[in-house]
Order: sequence, then C-alpha cells, then structure tokens
Amino acid sequence: MSERTILVADDETHILHVVSLKLRNAGFRVITARDGAEALEMAQQEHPDLIITDYHMPQLSGLELCQRLKQDESTSKIPAIMLTARGYHLEPHDTEQSGILRMISKPFSPRQLLATVNEVLEGVAA
Amino acid sequence: MTETATISSPPSAPPAVPAPVLENLAARFRPGGLCLVLLRNDGTIAYQDTASNLFYQRYALPMIQYPDAVSGLTERIAALTSNSPIEVWNVLPGVVLSAFPYVERRQLMGVMLLVGKSTNFKLAEDVIRVCGRLGLDALWLNQQAEELPLYPDETIQRQARLLLGMIRDQLRLSSLEQELDSLSGQLANTYEELSLIYQISSGMRINRTAKDFFKQACLDVMGVMNVRGMGVALLNNEQKQEPVIYGSLSLPPGKIHRLTDDLTRILIERKSPLLVNDLRGDKTFSWLADHARQLLAVPLQRQEQVLGCLFAIDKETNEFDSVDSKLLNSIANESAIYLENAMLFEGVHGLMMGLLHSLTSAVDAKDAYTCGHSERVALIARRLAQEIHLSEHEVERIYMAGLLHDVGKIGVPEAVLQKPGKLTPEEFDQMKKHPEIGARILQDIREIKDIIPGVLYHHERFDGKGYPTGLAAENIPVMGRILCLADCFDAMTSNRTYRKALPLEVALIEIRRCSGTQFDPRLAEAFIKINCDEFRALLTNHQEQTRKIAELQQGVRAPI
Repeated sequence: MSERTILVADDETHILHVVSLKLRNAGFRVITARDGAEALEMAQQEHPDLIITDYHMPQLSGLELCQRLKQDESTSKIPAIMLTARGYHLEPHDTEQSGILRMISKPFSPRQLLATVNEVLEGVAA
Repeated sequence: MTETATISSPPSAPPAVPAPVLENLAARFRPGGLCLVLLRNDGTIAYQDTASNLFYQRYALPMIQYPDAVSGLTERIAALTSNSPIEVWNVLPGVVLSAFPYVERRQLMGVMLLVGKSTNFKLAEDVIRVCGRLGLDALWLNQQAEELPLYPDETIQRQARLLLGMIRDQLRLSSLEQELDSLSGQLANTYEELSLIYQISSGMRINRTAKDFFKQACLDVMGVMNVRGMGVALLNNEQKQEPVIYGSLSLPPGKIHRLTDDLTRILIERKSPLLVNDLRGDKTFSWLADHARQLLAVPLQRQEQVLGCLFAIDKETNEFDSVDSKLLNSIANESAIYLENAMLFEGVHGLMMGLLHSLTSAVDAKDAYTCGHSERVALIARRLAQEIHLSEHEVERIYMAGLLHDVGKIGVPEAVLQKPGKLTPEEFDQMKKHPEIGARILQDIREIKDIIPGVLYHHERFDGKGYPTGLAAENIPVMGRILCLADCFDAMTSNRTYRKALPLEVALIEIRRCSGTQFDPRLAEAFIKINCDEFRALLTNHQEQTRKIAELQQGVRAPI
C-alpha cells in the first residue's frame, strides 16, 4: 500500500509536533498547517487521505475548513477528524455539510487519536 | 518513543551522518569537479559520490579503497584524531585529497575526504602504472580528467573548510530535529497522562463506590500502559475492601493477599513508587516470580497517610520505566483525593444516618406501642418505591422520609399520643398538627429539604379529605402518597392499645377497599402486587433486629 498522507491543522505548535511524530512513527506521511486558510490551500494541492483539524483556528475555523472542502469536488471525499476543547459540542447538523467523521476532545490521548485515524481510514477504504 | 542516539559506534558501523545529508553535500561540490567521500575509522569507504566524474569512480576511489603500501595513505588516515585540522595530502598520483576528521559528540566517527584533480596530473609514468594496475586505458582516463579543473592545495583546502562548515550546520540541524522529536515524544507521554487523569477525575463522583471507581481507573490505565494486570488494595478499616487484580493475570486469592500485604507494608514505609523489573532476583517478591516478571506499585496517600496502593504487573512489551512510574503515581495522587473525599463523605453520611435513626427512636420511644413504627414504614415505603421503578436516589430519599415522617410527634403531648381510648376532638386537633410540626423541624436542614413533602403530606387522602392541606389526587406529592400507604399498612399490621394486629392479608384487602378514596389507586395496585411473604420477611427481619438491640440494651442495664 502506498504511503498515506495526513494533513494536520492546528495553531498550537506543540499539538502539531506531537501528532506529526505519532503519525510519522506509525508510517504516515504528514503535512502540517498552522491555520485554516493554509490548511485549505494544502488540502487542495496535496489531496491528503485524511485531515485532522483543530476547531479553533485563526483565519478559518476547522468547521469552515471542512465545509469548504466538502463543497469542492476534488476534496469533498476527504474524511476529517476534528479536535475540540473539552465540553464543546457540535450539533449533528453542523457537521452534516462537512467530511467530519469523528470528534476528539482535548486533552486527548495520542494513542487513541492514532487508533481513531486507523479506524477512519479503514472505514473509508471499506 | 524515539531511538536513543548511540554515544559511539563500533569502527565498522557507518557514521551517523544521514545519507540524504551526504547526498546533498556531494551535490554541492560535484559541479566544481570535486568528489565527496566519507571513510570509516578503519579506512573503508562509508560513502562515496556515485554521480561523480568517472576519473574518481574508476581511478581515484579504487586507489583510496585499496591503497598501496608506498603511498602512506593508510598511515595518514590512521594518524587523524578528533582534533586534527584540515589536511591536504598529495600522496596519490595526480590526485589531491583534503581530509578532516568527522566528529560527533567529541568522538572520531570517520574521515571526510574531498577529492580533486591535482595540479600535477599528467600522463606520466606513475599515472600510467596505476592505470595498468586498475586495468584502465590511460588515454581514456586523460580524456575524463580533462573536464575537471586542477585543484591547487590552498583551493581544495578552502573548499574543505566550506564543507566542514556545512557539515556542522547540517549536524546541528539534524540534532535539533532529533531533539524536537524527542521533546514531542515526551510531550506525547504528557498528553497521554493528562488525558488519562482527566478521564479518571471525571469519574470521581463522590457517591460512586470505591470499588467501581478503582475498577474504572485500573481499566483506563491498562488501556494506556499495556500491562498484564492492574490492581488496587485499600487500607480502609471501616469496610475492609478485598484487594483485586484486573486484567489477564490471575493469582490465587491467597497470593493476592500476600502480594498486597507485602506491598502496603513496604509502601507505608517508603511512601514512593516501587519498581521491580526482575521479580526472580528480588528478596521480598521472588515468590511471585512463578506468576509474573515485573511489578510497579505506588502508594495512595494523602498528607503522608497511606490509604492503600495501586499496582501494575508485567508490561507486555518491555520493562517498567520512570515514565510508567510517574504516570501511575499521578493516577494514584488523583485517586487518593477521591478516596479521601469518599471516606469523608462516607463518614458524614454515616453520621447523618445515625442521627436520623436516633431521632426516629426518640419519637418512637414516646409511644411504646408504636415502637419501631418509623423504621418499618421506611422499609415498606422503600419497597413500594422500588416496585414503581423510582430511581435509586429517590428510593433512598423515600426511605429517609419514612424514618422521619412522624418526627413532628415530638411536639404532641405524650398524654395524647399514649391515650388508650378514643381522642376528643381537641386532642385529635393536636394530633393532626404533627405533619406540620415535623416539616418545621426539618426545614432548616438543607440536606434533607427534599423529604419534607413526605413528612408534611403523609396524612393527605387521595379524595382530598385528609390533613393538613386537603390536597387531592396527583396534587399530593408522590412521596406523601407512598408514605400514607406504608404508614396505614404498618398501623393495621401492628398491635395497638385498642386492637390486635391484623393479618397482612386482611390489611391488603383493606388497602384495596380504600383504593381511590384514601389511597392513590395506582400505588395501591402496585402495593397489592408485592408478595405478602416479602412483607412478612421484611417485617420479621426488622423485628429480629430490634429484639437483638433491645436484648443488648437490657444486657447493659442489667448489672446496675
């Protein structure tokens, strides 16, 4: 199987580093973006297999990012995992028009995140 | 998480410069007609620029790889130390070498060579001799070499200095990258810990049993730590909790006790984590070696007081390390806070229930004939509440309301309470005040405010003809309706001054008869459905207990 690419978007650098390391060690190719606008551009250029995005980001929120990607035919199939602050809930109708398949609240366990990534990718492949 | 960098490599191992870095450097010098080579300490080639001019690949590099004894190259390489400066060697015919030690963490890791065409390259005897040895056509070699510039000593030395600077920058960069990865790895562990602690503390509801709480905590930790077994032992004197081990490890109960007894004894003394990675060699725990390999235990402590311990057995993949011990210790610290609070809560709750029972007994003592009435009403009401599927919490509150429903009788004269015959209207009015008196007595105790409706409305009737308010049907709070039924049922089935106790079956018929007038018909129906024998057992049980208590009290009084 060819190397899968995952785009990670978060304005918190430490999260980018932790998530990237975890994913790289698991054999994924990782690209990172520090805000929603950058993430949008990268997703359109690189067509990653999965996006992990924070909800709260400058320029473009994680939700807006995922909604924009959904509207664009070339990126509409990319699944996404959203990281949110603890206690923050998105309503089902919020995520309807986006590729968001899972929500993970911070502080999260990197192991669980990796498990979720694998689950989502397997689900998409199936 | 990340591989630890080796401090020194054995001489034949390739130097630690990553191949892409070397490729990148070689590509910078290739256009200038230079060839980059990295030798191991023993002189063998670890890296060579395979895209370099054939002059190097066919002629210069074989000479370096198989140096002849006269050139003295081997000796020069061997003489380099980690402190050697950049040297220029003109020991091979037509080739100039600039060499410097490749050093990492003050260790000589190899020799960097920048190889160039020497200014004295010509088709002379020495070059032709080497060509003969290597099976090369000297004219062909000359043609290849024509493309290459001549490198005077000082020029190639300058280039080597440039290379040295670049290598330092590259190494610095890659060590920074490594450091970043190692930091990210540590941070990932911290995230793991934080998320675990968060998960565990959100399970810290105080009314949860310690057993439930610790079971969940153990399962959560096992999910992160990959261990074969995870256990807890509590030193709670009040209700001696049995030590347990969760996971795939199974120990006979005797051994679990021995393990936890040993652990708590050691941890009370030591007050810090205990890590044993070789049980066989440990003098206290070698007996456990037949069942397990490794053990990590941490005390559950609050302000120096050890309340118990948490322990993990056998890491699936490797050994327990300081990261595990730190993690388990954080979990133990969190859990100890829960445990202390739970113990305090249990204490306060026990005190409150004790006080309630005393208060109840005080009321019942005013009237010998109603002795135990409140307790029985509480038991009956609780049973009915369960029957109609109220929540566990509501069931407990109804039990409490049952205990206190007659507390207002404290304010009714004993002469009225204990009067054997029929009450006069005035006396009856006095009697009828007890629900309100009870409600007033309890209204200032915030913790039991919610049971006041039970106390205040337990003499209301479903048809609205009760007291004190005359509320009817669903307007009477359900607690009041339940207590009314339980109260009447107990009154009918107990001996009174004016009559003997009715058989349970008769009392139930009476309840059916008054369904819809005195009692809520739906509650009455549920009540009748409860098996008579169950009530009998409930009441006999209670009678037995009170008799024992009475005997004990008699026993205490006897010697006086």
